[in-house]
Amino acid sequence: MHPEEKHLLKKTRRHLFRDCGFGVGKAALASLMADKLLAQVNARHHAPKVDSVIFLFMAGAPTQLELFDYKPELVKWDGNVTPESFLKGKRFAFMDTFSKEPPKLLGTRRTFKQAGSNGMWFSDLVPHLSTVADDIAMIHGVSTENFNHGPAKLFANTGSVRTGRPSIGSWVTYGIGSESKDLPGYVVLQSGPRGPRGGAALWGSGFLPSSYQGVPFRSAGDPILDLSSPKGVDAEQQRRTIEAIRDLNKMELDETGDTEIAARISQYEMAYRMQTSGPELIDFKSESKETIEMYGAEPGKASYANNCLLARRLVERGVRFVQLYHADWDHHDDITKPLDRVCGEVDRPTAALIKDLKQRGLLERTLVIWSGEFGRTPMGEVREKGKIGRNHHIDAFSLFMAGGGIKAGTVIGGTDEFGFSPTQGKIDVYDVQATLLHLLGIDHLKLTFRFQGRDFRLTDVHGHLIKPLLA
Amino acid sequence: MMFGNMRLAISVLTALAAFAQTPADIEFFDKEVRPLLRTNCQGCHSVNGLNSGLAVDSLDALKKGGNRGPAAVVGDNNSLFLQAIRHENGLKMPPGKKLAPEQIATLEQWVKRGLPSTPEFAAAKRRKSTHWAFQPVRRPQASGIDELIQAKLKEKNLAPSPEADRATLIRRVSLDLVGLPPTPAEVSAFVNDKSAGAYERLVDRLLASPHFGERQARHWLDLARYADSDGYTIDAPRDIFPYRDWVISAINRDMPFDRFTIEQFAGDLLPNPTTDQIIATGFHRNTPSNYEGGIDFEQYRVEAVADRVQTTGAVWLGLTLGCARCHDHKYDPISQREFYQLFAFMNNTDEIDKEADRKYFNRPFLELGTPEQIAALAKWDDDVQDVELRIRKLQDMLDQEGDKDPRLIALRKELVDLRKRKPQVQRSLVMRDRPAPRDHYIHLGGDFTRKGSAVQPGVPAVFPPLKNPNPVPNRLDFAKWLVDTDNPLTARVTMNRLWQQYFGKGIVETENDVGLVGDRPTHPEVLDLLASEFMSGGWKVKRMHKMIVMSATYRQASTNRPDAAAIDPYNKLLARQNRLRLDAEIIRDSALVATGLLARKIGGPSVYPPIPKGANDVTQVKREWKVSEGEDRYRRAMYTFFQRSAGHPGLITFDAPDGAVTCTRRVRSNTPLQALILLNDDAYFEFAEVLAKQVLEGGAALDDNGKLRLAWSRAVQRDIKPAESQRLLSFLASQRDAQKEKSELAAWTAVSRVLFNLDEFMTRE
Repeated sequence: MHPEEKHLLKKTRRHLFRDCGFGVGKAALASLMADKLLAQVNARHHAPKVDSVIFLFMAGAPTQLELFDYKPELVKWDGNVTPESFLKGKRFAFMDTFSKEPPKLLGTRRTFKQAGSNGMWFSDLVPHLSTVADDIAMIHGVSTENFNHGPAKLFANTGSVRTGRPSIGSWVTYGIGSESKDLPGYVVLQSGPRGPRGGAALWGSGFLPSSYQGVPFRSAGDPILDLSSPKGVDAEQQRRTIEAIRDLNKMELDETGDTEIAARISQYEMAYRMQTSGPELIDFKSESKETIEMYGAEPGKASYANNCLLARRLVERGVRFVQLYHADWDHHDDITKPLDRVCGEVDRPTAALIKDLKQRGLLERTLVIWSGEFGRTPMGEVREKGKIGRNHHIDAFSLFMAGGGIKAGTVIGGTDEFGFSPTQGKIDVYDVQATLLHLLGIDHLKLTFRFQGRDFRLTDVHGHLIKPLLA
Repeated sequence: MMFGNMRLAISVLTALAAFAQTPADIEFFDKEVRPLLRTNCQGCHSVNGLNSGLAVDSLDALKKGGNRGPAAVVGDNNSLFLQAIRHENGLKMPPGKKLAPEQIATLEQWVKRGLPSTPEFAAAKRRKSTHWAFQPVRRPQASGIDELIQAKLKEKNLAPSPEADRATLIRRVSLDLVGLPPTPAEVSAFVNDKSAGAYERLVDRLLASPHFGERQARHWLDLARYADSDGYTIDAPRDIFPYRDWVISAINRDMPFDRFTIEQFAGDLLPNPTTDQIIATGFHRNTPSNYEGGIDFEQYRVEAVADRVQTTGAVWLGLTLGCARCHDHKYDPISQREFYQLFAFMNNTDEIDKEADRKYFNRPFLELGTPEQIAALAKWDDDVQDVELRIRKLQDMLDQEGDKDPRLIALRKELVDLRKRKPQVQRSLVMRDRPAPRDHYIHLGGDFTRKGSAVQPGVPAVFPPLKNPNPVPNRLDFAKWLVDTDNPLTARVTMNRLWQQYFGKGIVETENDVGLVGDRPTHPEVLDLLASEFMSGGWKVKRMHKMIVMSATYRQASTNRPDAAAIDPYNKLLARQNRLRLDAEIIRDSALVATGLLARKIGGPSVYPPIPKGANDVTQVKREWKVSEGEDRYRRAMYTFFQRSAGHPGLITFDAPDGAVTCTRRVRSNTPLQALILLNDDAYFEFAEVLAKQVLEGGAALDDNGKLRLAWSRAVQRDIKPAESQRLLSFLASQRDAQKEKSELAAWTAVSRVLFNLDEFMTRE
């Protein structure tokens, strides 16, 4: 049988054949189906540490050297031409400019302080994050495969630099489904001046059934496309409409015996529940003033702060995988004011999210991960006279995680004195993906899908658990 | 066979001529060397299992070597072969167990003596496979499809289902052939036509309809990974719709599939190619292309070429060639070297591969304007480059405050103005080879920066060879080979997909993999009947459609049969038809037909039907979605502008492919987001209102029951049943009560909304 078909059948028809026989039309199918449709291939290979993931994707690639990876030696050598030995064998974006002007080392202008019981470094750009030092595990020296934004983002999300593979959230919901009965299992939120490069491919389901696609939620207006009933149709009318559709579909089900109709009936019920749960989700009325202030959220406005609060509300409601994109980290030409601004948008809400999850007892069952698609170079980049920024760097960037199953407060990995290369073994994006799946109870080697004759995995033929990270 | 023998003869002659072998040499080989090779090497390195692309089962293969280059070289004591057995330079063969010193000495001596061998060993072995798909197509002894299907059913004591009722039948065959439901008038004409041949006349009419080309083209465009934008980061609009229109037209003209293939692969290489034949080569230019700043263009060019090999494998050969990109295929007889031989066929296209050529992005194009228009565009291109150059020169001269220099400001303004004046000339992306061919080589581990040994264009050894190719075989040779009647795969794979269209799944269910790990055909004889009929009928496609839809198997009712399901739960034996959810495009098109809004114009630039607010805000570069006006608002959904990074939700949510890679089969998912679109989207609300208006106007003289019959038949093309009518009448009453203004239009709009959400509306029974 075709693998996709096999899977869909597992979800719906097989269940019906087994439990319901063919008189399904007469059974009280709808609510029964709703549960089973959300069932999965059951790829839980071991006891999970967390139930949900909040992936905070910093699109554009944050400069780890201005935020977390403190390099005093780089400050000392600031302005010196980069020694050839550091560049040899490496590939960078815009490399063709190197011949015109050899790149110079750039020491950070920011002030760094240590925080937490293990002396984790934070710059003055992220004061709020420094207050959650003991809740997060910082990883330095992470590497990735491609030095361009679009492909690197695809790689971080799908394990491939080209489009067409399922994203990590699709793999997860395909593997273990979702707890939420009235919201999609994989939700994508966006903020910043533009969408992330690559667009829908970043949360696409690739060759997995499209029901595992990430569903973009808007933090203002209709949270899901077409969620509101048409103008002039109130909730009561909508309910009656769906009941009429259900009854007529049941007649068709009795007539044809096609269990796909039973599935459709339950999907219409789910859609109706989403119409109620969606607006309730984005309505912050029930949040205290303190909570809203802690995030810096402004109800009704599209912002990263609002999205962080939404993320908490989503995992509270059993949504499996929430991904936030915040664009505007691509600081080629200036790491002064533009960087201040984006850090101002991100620092406080991120820290608030971790604190809020913790105070509600949700953090231990949630994994929060904060990462860009790569990092930025220890060399400065001058695109405009008088200004300086940093180029793309794929060999050693920093990311952090918080939540269940990880050793909070630790620093893992490290980089050389200038921040060019990792010094404590290779940790790459596949390893991050493998570890993320592991925390959800999934063995990355075993979660596969057969497509075009091959058993594909998120981590392809790579990926090792980041053991020092695991509690 | 003859070819193989000839090659053997030539090899023997060469071997004999190159170095005189004494009988002692040959005996040395046979007694000393041969057993060593057989015991220690051939387990992993034979023509039927090529690790690292290397075979050690013939002298030819050993000399040709594997991915790293020639292995054994006469008289060379440092050849890769000897290095490997001596465990030098990181090579260790056999792995884990080094040969004894005297064994190594024997092989060294063999090389020194000029690699003597027996004639039988000298010639390269022909790869053999007993796998069903690689065997010649054999026409079974049978009267037709039905005899073969029914024979299998009989084995299980099952009878086929009766023919579907007439209304179901006309709706089914209309949706399948032209992708549009019939009008109520067409339905009643067919239902009442009791004369012989009514169904066949209907089929013939549909096959001759220009909409047939549209519907069938969309199936082909899935394979072609067609989209209207570049993909990746920038995802700018691209010029490719003339290719889409070529496909529609070729199908409507019933272009034979061999010509259809050849023109798309290599129309540009035909003698005196016509414009149409060049446009046809757009097939392989539908790969995504990356324009992001700072990229290595060569990397993405290589990705596109690899995709072409993979797509060709999936579409024509039903093979997962992509598996051999990084290593030899694990299951099928395709080596990594052979992957790059196929790669070489498509590696010479004149696409850009370096930053300096950025301005020629998406080259090569075919300009479709008049000579004057083309000349104007060329001049404009020169002008832009000239101003850009002047700006750069001036910038280099100026210092830090240069931005305020009046000359620079003036030049920048000139550039902006010039850009606005770009002459509009329609172009289309095409294949065109560069004057000097590229070097083709194996990419070790699939990494284009790691060059392995050089390769030339060629086809995998397991298949019949190219016939009379050019000295260096080109795309045209390859295309002819794909549709050579000796190639057993193309016809089988194409017919299998056609079957899939009509029954929901193929005779081989893994339609893109007929290789060793793919499914076995449920009805191999039906597949071979179709394949042989296809080829012997000159690759004409319409008659194959007709052969299937005329069969009793196709015409059966789709009602579930508990008796058959108990024996055959997945309906593999086809004791009935399958109910299939309509494809994304056809759901919209059905609503357009039901409301009479459909604009029947064929082809032309892609259009922008309404889209939910915010639907395309997810991309890096926000593209304007200016909703089309007039008839373009109501075109068939296949003409919707397809933006790869943000496909229209009405398409994507109903499983239309995203154009990233070839799609040989659409999934049919069933999700709440689909329900939200049909329930709430403005477009569907508009359709419901239009239908309501028409019912109120056209059925002004009718009572509620009559109006309901009218609306129902427009939506699902059959008569409403009493129970259905009763349920809807009570719904209508509740909606009338809910209307403060007692608006009949609102109440009937509500009824129409129910109709457009019925499972039956979106299903082909």
